[in-house]
Amino acid sequence: MKILVCISNVPDTTTKVKFVENNTKLDTNGIQWVINPWDELSLTRALELKDDSSTGITSVTVAHVGEASSEPTIRKALAIGADNAIRVNGEPVDAYYVAAQLSEAVKNENFDIILCGIESSDHNGSTVGGMISEFLDIASVSAVSSLSIENGEAVISREIDGGKEILTVPVPFVAVVQKGIAKEPRIAAMRGIMMARSKPVKVVEPIAVDPLTSVEAFEMPETRAACKFIDPATAGDLIDILQNEAKVI
Amino acid sequence: MTKQIYFTIALLVTLGVFSYTIYRLTSFFRLTKPAFPVRDIGKRIRLTLEVAIGQTKIFRKPVIGLFHALVFWGFLVILIGSIEMIIDGLTGSERVLKFMGVVYNIIIASGDIFALIISILILVFIARRLFFHINRFEGIEMKRRSHVDANIALTIILLLMLSLLGMNSAHCAMEGSGEGNLVGLFPVGNMIAGIYTGLSHSTLHLLHEIFWWSHILLIFLFANMLPYSKHFHVFLSVPNVFLSRLDPLGKLVNMDSVTREVKLMLDPETAFAAPSGDEVPIERFGVKDVEDISWKNYMDALSCTQCGRCTEVCPANITGKMLSPRKIMMDVRERMKIRGPGLVKNGKEFTDGKSLIRDYITEEELWACTTCNACARECPINIDHPSLIVDMRRYLVMEEGSAPAELNTAFNNIENNGAPWQYSTEDRLLWAEGVEIPVMADLFARGEKAEYLFWVGCAGAFDDRYKKVTGAFARILTHLDVSFAVLGKEETCTGDPARRAGNEMLYQMQALQNIETFKAYEVRKIITICPHCFNIFKNDYPDLGADFEVVSYVELLDRFIKEGKLKLDASRLKELTVTYHDPCYLGRANDIYEEPRSVIKSVASNYVEMDRNRSFALCCGAGGAQMFKEAEKGDKEIFIERTEDALKTKANVIATSCPFCMTMITDGLKYKNREDDVKNYDIAELIVQALEL
Repeated sequence: MKILVCISNVPDTTTKVKFVENNTKLDTNGIQWVINPWDELSLTRALELKDDSSTGITSVTVAHVGEASSEPTIRKALAIGADNAIRVNGEPVDAYYVAAQLSEAVKNENFDIILCGIESSDHNGSTVGGMISEFLDIASVSAVSSLSIENGEAVISREIDGGKEILTVPVPFVAVVQKGIAKEPRIAAMRGIMMARSKPVKVVEPIAVDPLTSVEAFEMPETRAACKFIDPATAGDLIDILQNEAKVI
Repeated sequence: MTKQIYFTIALLVTLGVFSYTIYRLTSFFRLTKPAFPVRDIGKRIRLTLEVAIGQTKIFRKPVIGLFHALVFWGFLVILIGSIEMIIDGLTGSERVLKFMGVVYNIIIASGDIFALIISILILVFIARRLFFHINRFEGIEMKRRSHVDANIALTIILLLMLSLLGMNSAHCAMEGSGEGNLVGLFPVGNMIAGIYTGLSHSTLHLLHEIFWWSHILLIFLFANMLPYSKHFHVFLSVPNVFLSRLDPLGKLVNMDSVTREVKLMLDPETAFAAPSGDEVPIERFGVKDVEDISWKNYMDALSCTQCGRCTEVCPANITGKMLSPRKIMMDVRERMKIRGPGLVKNGKEFTDGKSLIRDYITEEELWACTTCNACARECPINIDHPSLIVDMRRYLVMEEGSAPAELNTAFNNIENNGAPWQYSTEDRLLWAEGVEIPVMADLFARGEKAEYLFWVGCAGAFDDRYKKVTGAFARILTHLDVSFAVLGKEETCTGDPARRAGNEMLYQMQALQNIETFKAYEVRKIITICPHCFNIFKNDYPDLGADFEVVSYVELLDRFIKEGKLKLDASRLKELTVTYHDPCYLGRANDIYEEPRSVIKSVASNYVEMDRNRSFALCCGAGGAQMFKEAEKGDKEIFIERTEDALKTKANVIATSCPFCMTMITDGLKYKNREDDVKNYDIAELIVQALEL
């Protein structure tokens, strides 16, 4: 079986987000780019499955839509342990565009399991996984919190209201993956980074796809009010503040 | 003539067996990797005279240290007599060295007295092992074999001394009763000679021969037993000291193979290029098994006599964790004994399905080390345990990526946002909110320069408690009109936690990046408030091409006070009773003990010392990247043990000079519920209080 992990390139979580061009574009100046945390965990799980020879997983591929500047993120994924990579050389404008490009790039590769993080930590659109399954006309399972291979079959569990649902799914399918799929992201060891330099990265040119959305403007959330401290001596004031200032009681 | 023949045969057998031992050990040494180059012979001779011959480190335990030193010095003197016996035995001469006259008499008399002293001390040692419970002689690594080994060696030494005394006394009785031409001087032998009264000259002669042969044969036996016992240190401790690593304890050996790779990674031209065919593949990063250790690691392991001084001072061991530095050395020696012959016979590819890591030394042991260097500081023969522990961590991190999860998080943070914690680089100057702090880039843009770069460090920039210390020190600098600037947003982790945790790659990436920044701003002098930053700049960065002077704020404050620039009144904080906790990376790593004390005493006259202080100080538990992970399993947290040391002094202020120590001691005070009556201040804060800045 072959696994594909779709990788998104996102700003590091400590980034102070700023916008340019009339608040329509992210200011990428000085941003450290990392693998989207959900995708990183998907990749970790895929590699764990491959490490276990009883699963019959033969390869783990990563696929990404992005320009050459996202190469470090792909190399990182290879350093963590992916066997090879596919990069669609286009700017990821929206989820539809990304899903269309990824589907086109992998449609003839016969992947059995396609893992997509449930969302990316930049735009949090949560739609790429579902769209890929439509493009490829295969099943998709959403909110997957565990994945294992038992007797050649994919066993999946999903968080559902008040409990857990356990499914077996015939391949091929897309799994839209939540955190929890792996405990901690695997990190790239020195040896892995060296080996990544000689792993194959297939670069394909994008097909013509019109995005379905366009950005009007980004807006920053209001800054959180400062924390108010109440002296223990006048603890009684708390009730007054909650009632009259915060108006919560 | 027959005596000569027998003697020659005995000597040849001894040398034969000994040569086989040496041959076998040499073949094991050949399996090891190169270590540091052995240069500075003059310095090495001085070190050997001081540490090996002068026994300075053994005197860290004064009483038992003196006992050992007497035995050692006695051995040296008696050795001359033994050489004489060998010459006599081979040539048939009698006391061939007597031509040295007075000198000879002094040597022989000293040997005679030492034989008695050593006999008594060996009895003390045996009694101590048999009847007293000495903590450091126990531990998981101390099996029955180790105890038997010790007792056999002590017994043989005792017999050696008794045979020597027997020989000397018989000689006295024989020569004294004869023509009176006694050769040599035997104060003790003469006393004992009385017991032979009435024995004939020939009986005395026979007795003397029996003692002579017993003594020399015991020496031959002992010499061939030693290499197989823990008492190999009798031969190896002096050379082991001579071949010590001369660097400060805080320095780790740079991995040049990693430097090559990191430079390729940092260069956009080569970063993603497939490796060219002519690159030599690197066999292994770090130490997984005995073929990865250096010859010095192996020599350390062979020289170790399991005295347990290292384990006794190990903060991890004291608080019930798995780590015992002595066990690391014993495991290396044992592993070589098992794996060495297979490697010699079958080459590098030989495998027995086991490895030094995991089958001998567990990951839990390796991750328990705080790299405080107490073990290395204590070892009487300069064994370097922490470097080997870090080498094994290097294997785990760089080959397997299998560091504890919290450390992986810290690595990711350093890589992504330049600090072990998840804070934005943009927030690096929040500590200075409301005050004017000169920033390097601004100064440079104006065409100005600052004398010092004030390196704030990640804790100084992001840790809420330590931000106050940063502010305090910056106020002192401003008060003194020191020309300084900070890097602000351009500052990024030095790589210290990564390096001590075995992530040499991440460390070198950080270091090379920082060195570039320093070069760009033409930085010549750096002041640090964090001892970890200080140490890595001072000791580790030069290997990567750094060229600047680094000074700890503690040294700087001390210098300003001594120069009279910083005027302080010792009675200023007289209501305080202050004790000082030595950070490992100022103290043991860099021998800065007196400066902080003199700074404190210049503002607070009531100063008290903890029992474990200066080079004996106990680590706070945070070094070696422990700050960023949970402590390994044990029965106590190290910071609690250390806080108890401080509370015992009854001081109401525990002064520190390290952000990590501050976190740990503050936690300790919370744990002990003593936050109200005992305060934890940094030295800079004490000065600010005294100056009312």
